[in-house]
Amino acid sequence: MRPEFYKVLASPVLWGILILAAPLPFLLPSYYLHIVILSLVYVALASSWNIVGGMAGQISLAHSLFIGTGAMLSTALLLKLGINMWVGLLISAAISAMLAAMIAWIDYRFRLGHLSFVLITLAFAEMGGLVVEGWDFLGGASGLLLPRDTGHFLDFQFGGSHGAFWVMLLLAVVCVLVNVAILNAPLGYYLRTIRDNENAARAIGVNVLRYKVAAMVISAVLASIVGTAYVRYLTFADPYLLISPVITIEIVLFATVGGLGSAFGPALGALLLVPLGEILRGQLGGVLPGLHYFIYGIVVIAVILITPQGLLPLFERLWKRRPGAAATRPPTVAP
Amino acid sequence: MAEFLQALTQGLLIGSTYGLLALGMGLVYGVSGVVNFAHGDFIALGMFMCLALYSALSLDPYVSIIITVPVMMGIGALVYRYLLRPMVGYKFLMIVQLTLGLSLVLQNGILMVFGGQPARTPSAVESKLWILGEVVMRVPHVIAFVVSFALAIGLYVMLRSTDFGRSIRAVHQNAHAASLMGIDVGRVQVLTFALGIGILAIAAALLLPGTPIQPTMGLRYTVITLLVVVLGGMTNFVGIMLGGLVIGISEAFGTIYLSDILGMLLPYGIFVLIMLFRPQGLTWGAAR
Repeated sequence: MRPEFYKVLASPVLWGILILAAPLPFLLPSYYLHIVILSLVYVALASSWNIVGGMAGQISLAHSLFIGTGAMLSTALLLKLGINMWVGLLISAAISAMLAAMIAWIDYRFRLGHLSFVLITLAFAEMGGLVVEGWDFLGGASGLLLPRDTGHFLDFQFGGSHGAFWVMLLLAVVCVLVNVAILNAPLGYYLRTIRDNENAARAIGVNVLRYKVAAMVISAVLASIVGTAYVRYLTFADPYLLISPVITIEIVLFATVGGLGSAFGPALGALLLVPLGEILRGQLGGVLPGLHYFIYGIVVIAVILITPQGLLPLFERLWKRRPGAAATRPPTVAP
Repeated sequence: MAEFLQALTQGLLIGSTYGLLALGMGLVYGVSGVVNFAHGDFIALGMFMCLALYSALSLDPYVSIIITVPVMMGIGALVYRYLLRPMVGYKFLMIVQLTLGLSLVLQNGILMVFGGQPARTPSAVESKLWILGEVVMRVPHVIAFVVSFALAIGLYVMLRSTDFGRSIRAVHQNAHAASLMGIDVGRVQVLTFALGIGILAIAAALLLPGTPIQPTMGLRYTVITLLVVVLGGMTNFVGIMLGGLVIGISEAFGTIYLSDILGMLLPYGIFVLIMLFRPQGLTWGAAR
């Protein structure tokens, strides 16, 4: 670990944001609190995807598999077998890790090209969704309903949206910090080498299989844990939301628009686009069905055309040009 | 045995149209490296245009092609010129995201105009059947099969022996060298994209009879098209048509022989298996 990681960990900006954010549940009306929680969920998910998609350059569309395992399996274990959800969280995370290792191994063993990897992971995600729909243990097509959240911490209950906010804040910060840590650790350098030129990486002795598996497993475990926490907040385990490729597509969108491969880009993308989508839905959802998504799509296209390299590089350039900017060191936290 | 033949025929018939859908995407990918995730939504757009023409002028879907093809080609040319061309040279994933934004716009534009209820567009041949021994074929499927292969052959001949076709192949092989030979690469890319979208207008009319249509149906067609293109080795003509048949047949066998969910799993499972053992696609030898 290089000193940059500890610098971020000790950065007053990080702790400032956390201290300012902590009392939010007491200040915000429940509708806005819901938007903030959703944004944090996607910050965590986009950051977890970034480890595989951004740093290792492996555009995996199998992320819904891990979110779905974390959400549907832990719920099913609780409802059908009475297994405590904390234990369910660990079991689902372990299964997600195994699935992830298998996918990474297949990618390595069969030397898949970029597009083949995209499509194979998409095929796995579609198959996962179909399995959940067809298997009553996991809720089938109608989903599963968790018992009401009464705030028993030992039962993985956090007392409604206030508790959910803190849990999600914690998970989002952890996911972003894992990104920072990996970027500054040897693993991050290996992953970027693999992304930029896999054959060259192999030639200089990088153990490609080991680091691909490591990236995929870390990413999957984080996604699975976030999935379990997310379903606890939603109380309804909806297969069409949680294990559909659409959720992966959204995550990839946030990560890409924010700035792929950087530690804060995906978080930035989610923090801007999720509230935009939700507010558009709130304002226009009742006016004409489809209108809010229509405008959202136009905004996405416009943002991409204006900043084809992602939002974070744009912010960094603006930050450097601010009056009285110090030397050329890039900022560690996006403004 | 009758069941087997029935599944095989049905798969071949529907698979040929999947192949046609994928040819458009393969052509565009070969020339400009763009993978269009709004592909299926353009098909949905074509279908809803047929629906509009039927309700306004009571045109049969097969006749409305005369209007939908030029309109869709125009839309395709504009989309490439003003949305995709400025992205040349940026990350592949960014271009994919842009087409996903486009997919949102198309899908919800259709939803705003036509509403969300499933709709049908009747055609004169819709309920006609063609019975051959023990095998029952729906006439629209037979038409789709014949037209798809005719178009595929037409495209192949066009690529081999017209100037435009040669310029497409030149840009595919080496865009820089092609531009040095006096080929306007940008123009070829715009025209190819327009051609790809125009093919979708025809495919939409072929798939339409008997299919209930919904604004959200696009993603499914995008996924099928992607599977077929990748199976076919991205730009290999024969491979792509073959890929279409493989996916069509596995879908048909899945629905006839297996239960609901297992049947839907089959095409994906077969795709994964083929990709693992033939990652370069279905055909042997070099592309084109």
